[in-house]
Amino acid sequence: MSELDPIIHQPLRLRILSALTTLRHDERMDFVWLRDLLGATDGNLGAHLQKLEEAGYLNVEKTFVNRKPKTLISASDKGRAAFRAHVNALREIIDAAPKEDEG
Amino acid sequence: MNTSENDARRSLQEIEDIAVRTRRMAAFAGVDLILIVWGIVWFLGYLGTEIIPRLALSLNPKLGPAIGWLIQGWWAILIIAGIAATLMVSRRNTPVESSIGKRIGWLWFALFGYMYVFGFLIMPFVAVQGHEESMRFWKHMGAIMATVPMFAYVVIGIWLDSFLVWVGLGVTVLTMLGLYLLLPWFWIYMAFVGGGALIGTGLVVRRKWRSQ
Repeated sequence: MSELDPIIHQPLRLRILSALTTLRHDERMDFVWLRDLLGATDGNLGAHLQKLEEAGYLNVEKTFVNRKPKTLISASDKGRAAFRAHVNALREIIDAAPKEDEG
Repeated sequence: MNTSENDARRSLQEIEDIAVRTRRMAAFAGVDLILIVWGIVWFLGYLGTEIIPRLALSLNPKLGPAIGWLIQGWWAILIIAGIAATLMVSRRNTPVESSIGKRIGWLWFALFGYMYVFGFLIMPFVAVQGHEESMRFWKHMGAIMATVPMFAYVVIGIWLDSFLVWVGLGVTVLTMLGLYLLLPWFWIYMAFVGGGALIGTGLVVRRKWRSQ
């Protein structure tokens, strides 16, 4: 039986990994677009990205484009595996719940 | 960690929603503006193709053979402006850095190269006689040139999202209808129907996806 991952379980972190694991392995998402997609604030998103990065679930790369800072984020292999396990755990919770017609 | 069945369902639903929105954003950021830009290029290009010969001949009836070059120059200016605008829009609207973006860029580069090289290579072999035959020939060429970028829309649509496949096929069908049914007014038809279809699709995409 899979277990829920306490790091991913937090709602915004779950949404961050949902977005990033949708991308292919060679794709990286811009911080600003991720913030707008999730409707988060800079500070809130930054804090949760840091948690995920510390867990090794994300790769964060800071660069400069036309002298402006740009942060590119992608899910690591470890993050993808953890996210898959978390989704499986959610599915198992649903499967294990008694069905209505079973009374 | 205690999670109820309802919470689990809600989480899975949220994961699915975010996945759909991410895919859409990655595929279509800036597409609305790019469609509008190329709709304007088509509108001005085809309108110019209709108006420039009339205007030029009324100013100088001896211009005859130079008119073809005037029209080519007009299109070259518009296409260069369109490419510059597309690059600017793409730069500002790149939510996801990926290899497919580069592949799409090369596809467009190859197609525009193909159209221009093809146009220059066939010029010496064009043996149309008289104004009427010449006009008919260039309208057929114009139709081919219009369907080449639409073919690219279909290919990119297959890579990314079926929406672009339908835009490509729809504009191709409209082009063919104009060619077969409205040949005398083909340039004006393409300006309003071809260019209008691209601008209209861009505006619909902009309105629909911004409101989601």
